[in-house]
Amino acid sequence: MDLTAPAIEITGLDKFYGSFHALKGIDLCVAKGEKVVICGPSGSGKSTLIRCINQLEEHDSGAIRVFGTALDDSLASLDEIRREVGMVFQQFNLFPHMTVLENCTLAPMLVRKTARAEAEAIAMRYLEKVRIPDQAQKYPGQLSGGQQQRVAIARALCMQPEILLFDEPTSALDPEMIAEVLDVMVTLAQEGMTMVCVTHEMGFARKVADRVIFMDKGEIVEEAAPEAFFTAPRSERTRLFLSQVLGH
Amino acid sequence: MTSAARSRTGLKRWRKDYFGSPGAALMTLFSLAALGAILWVLVDWGLIRATFGAEGNQETCAAGGGACWSVIAVRWRVILFGIYPFEEQWRAALACGTVALVILLSCIPRLWSFGRLALIWTLGTALFYALMRGGVLGLAPVNEQQWGGLPLTLFVFVATGVIGMPLAIGLALLRRSDYPVIARVSGWIIDTIRSLPLLSILFTCAIVLPFMLPGFLIGEKLYRVVFGAALFFAAYQAEIIRGGFQGIPSGQEEAAKALGLSYWQRMGRIVLPQAFRLALPATINQFVIAFMETSLIVVVGFMELLAAGNTAFKTGDWKFAYAEVYVFIAAIYFTFVFGLSRYGAYLEARMNTGHAKD
Amino acid sequence: MAGSTFWRSKSVRGIVLQGGFLALIAAVVIGATLTARDTLAAQGLTSGFGFLRKATGWEMNFSLLPTTTSDPYWWYLLMGLMNTLFMGLVGLTGASVLGLIVGLMRSGRNPAARLLGTLYIELFRNLPLILQLFFWYAMANALPAPRQSLEIGGALVNARGIYLPGLAIGPGTVALALLAVASGACLAVWVLAARRFRRMEPQGQRRLSLAALGAGLALAAVTVLAGHEPGTAWTSWPALAGLKVDGGFRIQPEVYALAIAIMTYGAAYVGEIVRGGFKAVGRGQMEAAAALGLSPWQVFSRVRMPLAFRAMLPILINQYVWLIKATTLGIAVGFSDFFMVIASSINHSGQTFEFIAILMGGFLLINFSLAAVLNRLNRAIALKGHQTTGVQ
Repeated sequence: MDLTAPAIEITGLDKFYGSFHALKGIDLCVAKGEKVVICGPSGSGKSTLIRCINQLEEHDSGAIRVFGTALDDSLASLDEIRREVGMVFQQFNLFPHMTVLENCTLAPMLVRKTARAEAEAIAMRYLEKVRIPDQAQKYPGQLSGGQQQRVAIARALCMQPEILLFDEPTSALDPEMIAEVLDVMVTLAQEGMTMVCVTHEMGFARKVADRVIFMDKGEIVEEAAPEAFFTAPRSERTRLFLSQVLGH
Repeated sequence: MTSAARSRTGLKRWRKDYFGSPGAALMTLFSLAALGAILWVLVDWGLIRATFGAEGNQETCAAGGGACWSVIAVRWRVILFGIYPFEEQWRAALACGTVALVILLSCIPRLWSFGRLALIWTLGTALFYALMRGGVLGLAPVNEQQWGGLPLTLFVFVATGVIGMPLAIGLALLRRSDYPVIARVSGWIIDTIRSLPLLSILFTCAIVLPFMLPGFLIGEKLYRVVFGAALFFAAYQAEIIRGGFQGIPSGQEEAAKALGLSYWQRMGRIVLPQAFRLALPATINQFVIAFMETSLIVVVGFMELLAAGNTAFKTGDWKFAYAEVYVFIAAIYFTFVFGLSRYGAYLEARMNTGHAKD
Repeated sequence: MAGSTFWRSKSVRGIVLQGGFLALIAAVVIGATLTARDTLAAQGLTSGFGFLRKATGWEMNFSLLPTTTSDPYWWYLLMGLMNTLFMGLVGLTGASVLGLIVGLMRSGRNPAARLLGTLYIELFRNLPLILQLFFWYAMANALPAPRQSLEIGGALVNARGIYLPGLAIGPGTVALALLAVASGACLAVWVLAARRFRRMEPQGQRRLSLAALGAGLALAAVTVLAGHEPGTAWTSWPALAGLKVDGGFRIQPEVYALAIAIMTYGAAYVGEIVRGGFKAVGRGQMEAAAALGLSPWQVFSRVRMPLAFRAMLPILINQYVWLIKATTLGIAVGFSDFFMVIASSINHSGQTFEFIAILMGGFLLINFSLAAVLNRLNRAIALKGHQTTGVQ
């Protein structure tokens, strides 16, 4: 890990599902502290792209580097990268058989070998940050969707990662719960976390993103600062997409 | 990416699946060795070094060193038909064919209406019974005590289904009755039967029931045992049907009530057809189990397929050839059971896709 | 029409139907009892449970504690019940372990292992259990006569059974020692799994669990030491003595044939349940665990296995009850389980109804207590709250 290197560096990334070409030669570089929002129609490969970064999907060719560490066949580099890259999922994916607190302390204790007392202190700090410390002893099934997603964010933060990946974090939420999750994400962004978010929340993109990337059919069609992206999109496909997303 | 590169990743994945870690490699080697060994034993013992033909005996088979299929060649009629009179065994064979036909016909979805299925099964059972029992159409009568082998197995299976299914529907309806006493008591009966071993029920029916029944109801032991098997089947099947009931949205029955349908119209037209559809995979599974459980009647002294097989190698000079006889019987059971369960899996898949389209 | 309106009143119809239903059942039961009493009276038998104190006069061919022909019926029944529970325990444990292996092979990524697992399940699940039992029993009986016993690492194998070298201590001591080991193991698992210990450090928890296991083993060792008669040999090796085998620990053919049959058959069903349980675990939870940096083993032991176990337990309960009932097949090869003791008792004493009542009571007791224990476990580990994703 070299914290002076770019946070994420992707070159010529290819990914196939059978004969379906899901990612076509993606190049992407994310600097430390940068906030990148990826959007695009469903099936455009945006989720696949960020899932390649922590190797939930194996890519077929191309290179991925996280803080200078290359993702190769070695399991050691994968372990190292997963420790530094946190992820928040669309379906929360909390562990239903553990309390909120146990969800948050599991990985620090097992992976970072943190002592329980310390892990719990860290967990409580992040649960306070996502504003649900009072739910620590409950089980995920007893919480609302918005609360579950905030726990999921706290769980990812407890590993004290350098980078956070968000895979459509608000898509599975009822409208009234989206704001509480976005608020937490905005706070994180303001504190300088490196973030890559796949989301359709254009308000969020406008507010915090340093760069917006538009993907379609496995390619990066356009990338620009949010101001330019929303006011003067260059590509026809981007314009069409924006009219559909912002149209109502 | 070129196709060569893609096949390279295919190779990579293949290598990862088989030899990704020391554990996976060990697993692969173990599995391949086990598969190879099984295949080799089967081919070597069952074919290469085996003795075929009716003229083989213990010495020639031992000299060959493999399976002694001669025992089947010599004893197949005992295994298949037990002590059914030798000259009349064509009737038993025909009866088996009838049952096979009935089962095949019931597997055709187009014939799935209550009336058609009931007709097929009633006709089939009647024909089977006429062929086996004789005494009509100029056929010499053959007492039930002389029935044996495959026809007896099939008879117990078919009769269990024919008696058990209506019983199961009755029990299931009683258990979901609106009257609390009826529902509660039927629940107890079902749960009690389900918690008893089938063997104890068969034993009770064969040995104990005659004490408890008035003379005119005692009847043949075979029918009492079939009744016991049917009762056991019905208790399990009733719970399967109840599971089907629970899968029906409550709106269905409410809508039928709102339309003014009577209880029997609601059950016959709305609830039962849907419940059966939902319960179909589990029902087929229950039939498979019922077929395998027919072999339990050997314990209360019937000469069905398995017992007939036992006699085939335990008498004469064939005592050494137990494996061959059991393999032969196992093949018969396996064909039937595997076929039926594959068919069940096919139906389940078909129904699932049907749901996806809804 | 007065009668028609009377009949069409809801409450009246309810009373009449339910009353009629009860009356019908009562009529069947009373009729059967009266007929039975007449039949038995004609044969000169009296009802009642006094015969339980009478000596049986026949031998039991397998029992965990000693039995003789002068033992009363109640003792035989108790031994039969113990045999059933013993065979059930052996069968369930074996079926679970083997089934877990088969199920894991079937749900893994390795195609060769998957094929082997599939073959196993299709073969053992699609043949009647009693056929498999007959096969194993015939195989056991086809082993060479005692004089040509096969010797495998000090153990003798022949048609009369398997003779294992054993410690020269009484069966009671063995039972106590096994009990100590089993309690230690249960305690160890409890420490690892129970909510009460979840607040401990993982290392401390592991140490405490190992300590519990060690204590159990130590207690067993002390039991064995105390149960050993001073001055006699410690071990007993089987040896040929004329036409039979002396010494060692004999496992009769009917015992191991039945145990093998139940284990291998049960494993095929358990294997399918295990596979279903793993299939029910959402991929999301495993991905989340991997994304947090957990190793594959940690993902398996902390997330996948606990969730899969919760998904399979309700179905496993039914399967276990079913397998316990399957031990009654022992009668087909002459293993003295509860059912066989009942059947022989009926043959010898003629006290049919009393024994049938005991049989039903015994199995209701076994099944309901097993189901009650497992259901309690199920409730204890059930996922809290409403589940939206993942495990169904």
